[in-house]
Amino acid sequence: MVETAAGRRNTYFAEIRHYKTQKFIITTILVLLALAVIAPLVLPFCFVFKTQLEYAYDPWGLPKQLRLLNFREAWAAVNILHGLINTFLVCLGAVACTVPTAAMAGYIFARYQNKFTEIVFYMILAGWFVPVQMVLIPLYRFTSQIGLSNTLPGLFLIMCAFGVPFWSMIYRSFFRSLPGELAEAARIDGAGHATTFFRVMLPLANPATALAVLLVFIGSWSDYFLSLIFISDQNLFTMQLRVAQFLNQYGVDRMPRYAAAAIIAAAPTVLLYIIGHRWILQGTLAGALKG
Amino acid sequence: MTRKRISLLASFFLLVALTAGLLLPISAAGKVKLTVWGIDLPDDDPAHAYAKALVNGFKAKNPDIELDYVALGNDGLKDKVKVCMASNSGLPDIFQSWGGSVMGSYADAGRLLDLTKELKDIKCSEAARQAMTWKGKTYGVAPFFAIAGVFVNEGLFKAHGLKVPTTIDEFEKVCEALKAKGIQPLACGAKDKWPVLAMYMYLVDRFGGINAFADAAARKARFDGEAFVKAAQLYQKWVKAGYFGSKPLGEAYGDAQVLMATGKAGMHVTGSWMCAQYSSKEFTDQTIGFYAFPVLPGGKGKETDIMGMTDIGYAATRVAAGKKDAVVRFMKYAMSVEACSAEPGRICSVPGVKAPSRLTEMAAGVFAKAKAVQFWWDQDLPASVSSPLNDALQNIMMPEADVAKALAQYEELVTEMMGPVKKK
Amino acid sequence: MATDAGIILEYGRTRKKKRDWRGFVFQLLFLFPAVFFLGLFMFYPIEETFRLSLMRASGLGDTVYIGLENYVKLFTNEEFQQGLLHVFAWAFWSVVIQIPLAFFIAFSLIAFKNKLTSKLRAIYYLASIIPSAIVAMLGRFIFSPRNGVISSLAARWNWTWLANIDFFGDSRLAFWTVFAVATWTYIGFYIVYQMANIEQIPVDIYEAALLDGATRWQYARYVVIPMISYPLRICAILCTVGSLKLFDLPWLLTFGGPGYATTTLGIILYKQGFINAMYGRASAIGVIIFLLSLIFTVTQFSLQRKEGEIEW
Repeated sequence: MVETAAGRRNTYFAEIRHYKTQKFIITTILVLLALAVIAPLVLPFCFVFKTQLEYAYDPWGLPKQLRLLNFREAWAAVNILHGLINTFLVCLGAVACTVPTAAMAGYIFARYQNKFTEIVFYMILAGWFVPVQMVLIPLYRFTSQIGLSNTLPGLFLIMCAFGVPFWSMIYRSFFRSLPGELAEAARIDGAGHATTFFRVMLPLANPATALAVLLVFIGSWSDYFLSLIFISDQNLFTMQLRVAQFLNQYGVDRMPRYAAAAIIAAAPTVLLYIIGHRWILQGTLAGALKG
Repeated sequence: MTRKRISLLASFFLLVALTAGLLLPISAAGKVKLTVWGIDLPDDDPAHAYAKALVNGFKAKNPDIELDYVALGNDGLKDKVKVCMASNSGLPDIFQSWGGSVMGSYADAGRLLDLTKELKDIKCSEAARQAMTWKGKTYGVAPFFAIAGVFVNEGLFKAHGLKVPTTIDEFEKVCEALKAKGIQPLACGAKDKWPVLAMYMYLVDRFGGINAFADAAARKARFDGEAFVKAAQLYQKWVKAGYFGSKPLGEAYGDAQVLMATGKAGMHVTGSWMCAQYSSKEFTDQTIGFYAFPVLPGGKGKETDIMGMTDIGYAATRVAAGKKDAVVRFMKYAMSVEACSAEPGRICSVPGVKAPSRLTEMAAGVFAKAKAVQFWWDQDLPASVSSPLNDALQNIMMPEADVAKALAQYEELVTEMMGPVKKK
Repeated sequence: MATDAGIILEYGRTRKKKRDWRGFVFQLLFLFPAVFFLGLFMFYPIEETFRLSLMRASGLGDTVYIGLENYVKLFTNEEFQQGLLHVFAWAFWSVVIQIPLAFFIAFSLIAFKNKLTSKLRAIYYLASIIPSAIVAMLGRFIFSPRNGVISSLAARWNWTWLANIDFFGDSRLAFWTVFAVATWTYIGFYIVYQMANIEQIPVDIYEAALLDGATRWQYARYVVIPMISYPLRICAILCTVGSLKLFDLPWLLTFGGPGYATTTLGIILYKQGFINAMYGRASAIGVIIFLLSLIFTVTQFSLQRKEGEIEW
C-alpha cells in the first residue's frame, strides 16, 4: 500500500511560492460556497417554532418562544415510523436490482466494445431519455396486467428500470477509465471473463459502486411520484408517501407546520447521508488510490 | 460454467418475481370493502374536520362495510386519478371530484357509475347537484359548494372610513384610497396563474352578462369578444395603477393569503373556501368580511350573478358497480347534516346545516341571493382549453402585455379544440 | 492487489478483436438483466409513446390517427417554441456555469486539501439529497416577493433597489431565479462525480507535472481536464438530457410562468398530458425530448471516438 495521494501531493506543491496565500483564498472561497449550500437548509428553523400569525408578520426574526407545537402536530400526523419497513424494502430492492445490473452492463459496454454492445448500449440508454410522466400511463397499465401494480416489488423494479440506464452509463465511464492491462494480466493468468470481472475489475470500480449504492438508496428513499402512482394500498405506503400525504395538505396557509413536517421528512435522508458519507467518500475514494 | 450462471441469474430474478407475488395485498374476506380516495387527512387539524367526521362517522355507523379512505392531497389525487382513469386499472370505488368537465370526460369514457336514480332524493342545492351531473346523469354528490366573491378587511375599511364598494366606480375609489394609505388594495397570487381567473370571471359577467361566457363556451360567441377584451383591459388598468402592489406576478396564492391575514392588503377576490382561514384566530387577527362583487353601472351583469364550483364532491367509478348499496350509503352519509356540521368554513349545500362562522354566513347569504350561477370557468371548459385560459389570463398582470392579442390567441386555440363560432 | 493502477499511463487499448464464443456468451449473460428490465418496463411504454404521438388522444381510450399533425402544431405553438428555447438555454448555461463551478470545487477540494476542506466535501452533496418539493419550498423562502429572505432583509435595511427586484415575477429574471435554485441542488452530483474521477488520477502524474515546474492551475488545465475529459463529457450529457426532461423545479417554483418565461419541454409535456388531456400531443413532446437526447448523446460519444479515445 502506498501512502495517500493527497499527502504526497501536498509535500510537492508546498514548495511553490504564494502557496499559503493561495491556499487561504481558495479555502475561504470553499467555505463560503459551503455556507451557501447550508444556509437555505437553516432557513425553516427561523419560523418552525412560531405560530402561523407570528410567521405571517415576521417570518425571519428570531423566535420569541420555542414552541414545539408544530413539530408535535407534524410528528403525530406524519407517523414517520409507519411505512419505514416498506421504504426499506423498496430501497433495498432498488439497490439490489439496479446496481449489479448496471455494473454488469456498464462493464460490457466499456470492455467489450463492438457493434453489438454498442447497439445494446444505446437501447439501454434510450430508457433514460424518456421523461417519467410520458411513460407512466402505459407503464401503469402494463404493470396492472401482470399483477405488479400496487406491490412493493412492482415499485422497485420500475425504479430499477429508470435507474439502470443512467448507472450503466456511469459504470461504463468508470470501467473505461480503468487501465486495460489489469484485465489483460488477469486473463493471461488464466482467469475467465467472469472471474476477471468479479475479482479484478469490480473491486477497482468501488468508487462508482459506492456512489451508485448511496444514490440509488437515497433516490428511492426520497421518491414520491412513482410511489404515488404505483402504490394505492395504505399498508404498502412508503414513508415518503405518508409524509407527502401530510405535506400535500398544506401550503403557505400553515407554513410553520409545513416546514416542521418538511424537516421531519428530510431528516432521515440527511442522517443517513451523514452516517453514510464517511464510508462512501473516504473509504472508497481512498481505496481506489491505494490500488 | 455458463449454464450454472445462467440458472443462478434466472433464479435470482425469479425470486424477485416471487416476492412480488407474496407481497401482494391480502384483502379481508366477508365485509364489503369500499375504497375512497380523498384530499384531506382525517386528522385533528381543524381544516380537516369534515374529512374526519365523514370517515369516523361512516365507520361507526356502517360496521358491515370496511372503509379504506386514502388521503392524497390535492395534486396527488389529481395525478393518481388521471393515471388510473387513463389506463383503466387500479381505480378506487369513490374519489373526490370537482365534477364539471373533468368528471364529464371520465363519464364520457365510461369510467363512472351512474347514480342518478339513487341520489335523486338527497336534498341539496340545485347548483351542487348540477355540478355533479353530466349530460343528464348524476355521478356523485357535492356536500360543499364554493362561490367567488370579495373578502374585505372590514377593520381596515373602518379605520380609514371606507365603505364596502357596490359598484365598480366605488371599487376604484376605494382602491385609490387604500393605495394612498400605503395598503395594497388587492391581493391575488398571480404567480400560481389560476387565482387571476376569479376576478376576471366577474368582470366579464359585469360587462357582458351571465351569458357572455356560456355563449362563448357553447361556441355562439368568441372569447375575444367585446366583454372579454374590455374586462381584461380594465383589470390590466388596475394592475398598472398598482392596485395589486408592485410585484403582482411574483406573489403566490399563499402570499396573497398572508397579505390579507396581516392587514397588508385590503381586499381579496377569490373563492369562499378561504372562509375558514379568514375567520380563524390562529390564521389572522384582522376582521374580514365576504361580499358580492360590485356591479358595473351600464353593464349587463347583475349583483346576483354568482360564480361557483364544487368545493368538496365525491364521484363513484364503474369499479363499484357491484356494491352500489355501499357507495350510496357513503354518498348519503357524506351529505348528512351530522357529517357536514363538522366543517368549520365551507358553504354547505345540504339544507339544515348551520353556518359555522360569521364569514361563512355572509358567503352563504351572497349565495342565497344568487339568481344565476355560472360554474367556475376552468371547471366548465373542456380540459384541453382550461389551463391555457389561465396561461392567457396571466398576461393581464403584465403591464406591457397586449391582453387583446392574448385573448385572440386563446380564441384560436379554442377554435382548434372546440370548433369555430357557429354562424346564426 | 499490489499493482498501482495508475502507474501505467500509456497503456493503449488492448481489446481483443478476436471474439471467442465464451466471451460472447459472457456478454449476453451480463447484458441480460439490463435488457430484461428495460425491455419489460421501458420499451413497451416507449413504443406506445411513439405510436400515440401520431394520434389525437385524450388518454381515455379514444384515438384517431392524424399523422404528423401533433408535431406541426407543436412547432408552430408559441409556448412550445419558448419551452424549446429555455431548454437549450438551460443546457447551455448548465454546461457553462455548473460544470466549471463543480470542477473548481472538486479540484480545489483535492488540490488544496486541509483539515477544513476535507470536512467540506460532505456538505456540498447535502443539497442534492433534499427532495425537490422541499428544495422548491426553500427557494420560495429566499426569493418570495414580500416574505422572502432577500426582500424582507432588503426592506429592513432600506436597500430599495434590492427590495424592488421581483425574482419570480420579472420575466427576464425568473429563468435565472429557477436556475440558481437548480444549481444549488444539482451541483452536488457533479462535484462528487468529478472528485471520484480526479482522485483516480495517479499520484505519479502530479509528481511529473511538478518536476516540470507546473502550478496547480496549470496542472488542472493541462493534465487534469484532459484526463477527465470523458467524465466531463458525461457531465455535459447529464446536463443536456437533464435540461430536456427538466420539470419539477420550474413547475414547483413558477408553474412555467410568468407567461411562458420559465416553461420547459417537461412542463409542457406534463400540462398537455396530465392537465389538458391532450395525450397524443404530450406523446409527441416525449418523442421530441427522446430524439433530441439521442442526437446529443450519440454526437458526444462519437466525437469522443473521433478524437482518438483519449480517456486518459
